[in-house]
This record gives sequence, C-alpha cells and structure tokens, in this order.
Amino acid sequence: MDLIKKGAEADIFLTDWDGKKAILKARKKKNYRNHILDEKIRKQRTIRESQIISDVKSFGISTPLVYFVDTKKFTILMQHISGTLVRDMSKSKIIELCIEIGKIVGLLHKNGIIHGDLTTSNFIFSKKSLFLIDFGLASRTAKLDDHGVDLRLFKEILNSAHADIIDKAWSNFLKGYTKSVGQKYCKKIIDKVSIIESRGRYANVV
Amino acid sequence: MLGLGIESTAHTFACSVIEKKGKKGKILADIRKIYRPADGQGIHPREASRHHVENASIALSECLQKSKIQINDLDLISYAAGPGLGPCLRVGAVVARSLSSYYDIPIYPVNHAIGHIELGKLLTGAKNPLVLLVSGGHTMLLAFLEKQWRVFGETLDSTLGQLLDQFGRSLGFASPCGRQIENLASKSTNYVSLPYTVRGNDVSFSGLLSAAKQIKDKGIEDACFSLQETAFAMIAEATERALSFTEKKELMIVGGVAANKRLSSMLKSICKRQGCKFFVVPLEFSGDCGSQIAWTGIMESTVKPGAKLSDTFVRQSWRLDTVKVDY
Repeated sequence: MDLIKKGAEADIFLTDWDGKKAILKARKKKNYRNHILDEKIRKQRTIRESQIISDVKSFGISTPLVYFVDTKKFTILMQHISGTLVRDMSKSKIIELCIEIGKIVGLLHKNGIIHGDLTTSNFIFSKKSLFLIDFGLASRTAKLDDHGVDLRLFKEILNSAHADIIDKAWSNFLKGYTKSVGQKYCKKIIDKVSIIESRGRYANVV
Repeated sequence: MLGLGIESTAHTFACSVIEKKGKKGKILADIRKIYRPADGQGIHPREASRHHVENASIALSECLQKSKIQINDLDLISYAAGPGLGPCLRVGAVVARSLSSYYDIPIYPVNHAIGHIELGKLLTGAKNPLVLLVSGGHTMLLAFLEKQWRVFGETLDSTLGQLLDQFGRSLGFASPCGRQIENLASKSTNYVSLPYTVRGNDVSFSGLLSAAKQIKDKGIEDACFSLQETAFAMIAEATERALSFTEKKELMIVGGVAANKRLSSMLKSICKRQGCKFFVVPLEFSGDCGSQIAWTGIMESTVKPGAKLSDTFVRQSWRLDTVKVDY
C-alpha cells in the first residue's frame, strides 16, 4: 500500500481490491484536534462521503465506486480513477472543462446535494469524462443560500489559483450550470452569490 | 532610506520609523498608544478617534526621539488608509498629510492588511508563504500570485478576533479579550460540543458564537476551552486544505490572534504533517503597529513616487486582494 497523497483531512493510499487498483481514503486521527471533536468529524464525514458518493451516481454523475467502508477506522476503499486533475491541465482545457463542471454542479444542486469543497483538484479528467471526488464536506440541502456558497467556493478558487482565466472559466461554468438547472434558477443563484460575496469582510458594498 | 509609518485603523494609534539598508529593514522605533474601551464593551469609533487625536503628537514625538532622527531626515511618510474605522483612519491621515505638506516629504497611503503580511515577511524571513491573517478585522488565507495577494479562503461572516472579542465581552471582559480567553481555556480540558462549520477553505463563526454564549453558564472555563478548540480546529482545517491545494512549502501566520499559543501549536503540527516550514510573526509585532505601515510604505516607494495630496483619502472598506503589488 503506497501513500500517494497527504490530503488535508485524509491520507490517500494506492492499494488493490479483488485484483483491481483501488484507493484507500483514511481519515487519520489528528492529534492537534480535541479528540471528541476529532472523532465526531471523522465519523460523520466518512459516513456521509460514502453515502453521497454512491447516491449521486443515480442521477448520472461519475464518481468512484465504493467497495468497502470501515466506520471504526474511518476508512473508505474505493475505485481508483486514473486521469489528470483539472487543476493541473492547460489553461484552455480548464476553460473548456468548466462547462462540464458547471453541468455537474448544477445536477448536484438540482437533486438537493452540495459538494462543499468544489475545487479544480476535486475533478479528475479520465478518458473523455469528468469524475467528481472528495465528498467529505458534502451535504443534503435544498437551501438557495447553501447552493450559493457552493458556487462561491468554486469562484474563489478560480479567482485565486486560476486568476488569469477566471472570466472565461466562470462564464463557461455558469453556461453549464444553466443547462442543468435552467435559466430562472441560475439567475436567482447569481444574485445570491453576489449577496454572499457582499457579506465578506470589507467587500465593496456600493 | 528612512520611513515613518502611521497606523490608526482601530484601537491603536502608532508611529514607527524604519531604516532600510539594501534589502534589510531595521525598526528604529515603534510607539503605540492603545485606546481601551470600558469592560464588556467594544470600540466606540468616536471615542477611539478622540483618543487618537489626544495621543497623536505624543506618539510622534516619542517615536522621533527614540529613533534619534528629525522629521527632515525622513525620505517618506506612510499611513494606513484602510481598511478600518473611518473616524480613526482620518486621524492618522491628517497627521500624515500635515507632515508631508509642511516638510515636503513624499506620502504613501498603505493597506493595513498588506502591512501585516509585509512586516511578517521582513521579521520572519518567509519567502513565498501561504499566509494566514487572523485579527479583529481579518480572517483570511492568502497566497501571492501574479502581483496580487489572492484569497484562498476566508470567513463568511465574522473574524476570529471578533469571535473571541464578542464572546469575551458577553462575559464582561475588556477587549481585546483573546489573552483572557486563552488563560481561562488553559484551565479546562472538558470539551462541550459546538457547531463546526467549514466550507471548502472557508469558515463561518456566527453559529459557533451563538452556541458558545449558550453554554457559558455551565462553566466559563469549559466554554472558553470548547470555543477555542472548535474555532481553531476550523481554522486549522481550512489552512491545511489551502496548503494541500497550493502545495506551498511555507506557512506564515500574522495578525493579532497570531499571539495565541494554542492556535500556533495546532498550525505547527499541520506544517509538520504537510512538510512545510512554519513562521509566526514575533508576539510584539502581531498586533497593529506603525512598523507594518512604515515598511509597506518603504516597499511601495521603491517602485512608485509619492501620492498627490488630493489622492490621500482613507478607505474604510479596502480589500487587500484589490491591491496591486509591484515591488
């Protein structure tokens, strides 16, 4: 079992399951965190992630297949997706893929789920299709405000990590998002995103 | 090169003189006069600005005396133009403008938050860090990219400093309350469950504050402990997410809350896990001070001439991610 990534909340190992390559996501104990809080977070997220990652398949979103969940050790064993993180792709490709990303996020929201950590490193481009991973912060909610926060997260990442392409990438994202949720909802959510942004510290409220 | 910096964004009126030689800066003097609101109350902008007016000339003369220079020796004057409280900001701006026009010294309006970061880099020697700025005015995760500080994560509502202060004030403490809460927290190990809200790299403290106020009757020490543990764990997680995403090899923590030992020990442990270097601004310079303004002004002066007096406004809302950094 090889450690392939020390993520923020879990260690990611490459292993195998029934002869196939597999990923073991282990939410390790964090000693700096109070242990009651630590257990609560790790347990809640392991259960939630494994459920939602499977549920979203039913409305056509590509995610890794879950093989095994251990709610004592807080680990999830899942399908290995080979491909490239969208974060690491060329600028033009990222802009192009933002349409598809928008579509996927729209589908999630339409079905009452937010991802909670929409970054370009949580989308894997594999054999012409996009896989969405890392549902640790996902939750079920139909609230417009929650959906707005989800969108703002993605905008924030574009604005910080992909600052030079944000305009095109964001407009493509919204194009794709509209395809899933319709124009009316998309307009509502764009307004919501600007309200959320205006809550930020020292935001220009003109 | 000698630069005077004037800080007056909130409760502190401060003056500092820094001498720049080559790439190094030496703080010759750093004088602060701090307005203290009554116990259990926050900053009253009018009272704070009155305090600043009364203390401005005292701070300035002490600063010049300690640094052993005359006003005429100065190559530039910088002042904190924002973000902050309007009445307070204006005091510093008036002092800076008067000196600049009377002695004919170039003047530089400076962003207070950028000041925290630049002084942090000067004092810690961090080169290309992910910055965690935690104070009464800010709670942000920042990285430098293409001439601007970019926000990788921030609070969606109040800041970490506000959270601690507002909770402390509800107990009748004098602001800033961080120190007192830290002391009380260290006396308990009994964790009471409180709402934990992390959204990607963003955090939200409003629910946590309300919930913490509700458990304070069960024991102040437990409440302080649980509040700190929850809030800092949220910040720590957001920081670790940003570190993992940006793959930066340095983390620097600046701002008033950087003084908290529990927070920095948590962040240190993250850095160990993520294999990156940890820098924390020295305690003495974590809070608002003139040096952060003086040094940023000096950096600005290396790439552009002083501002026209007619352009030396203050800006209460001035996000640091809108500032172009050319030096």
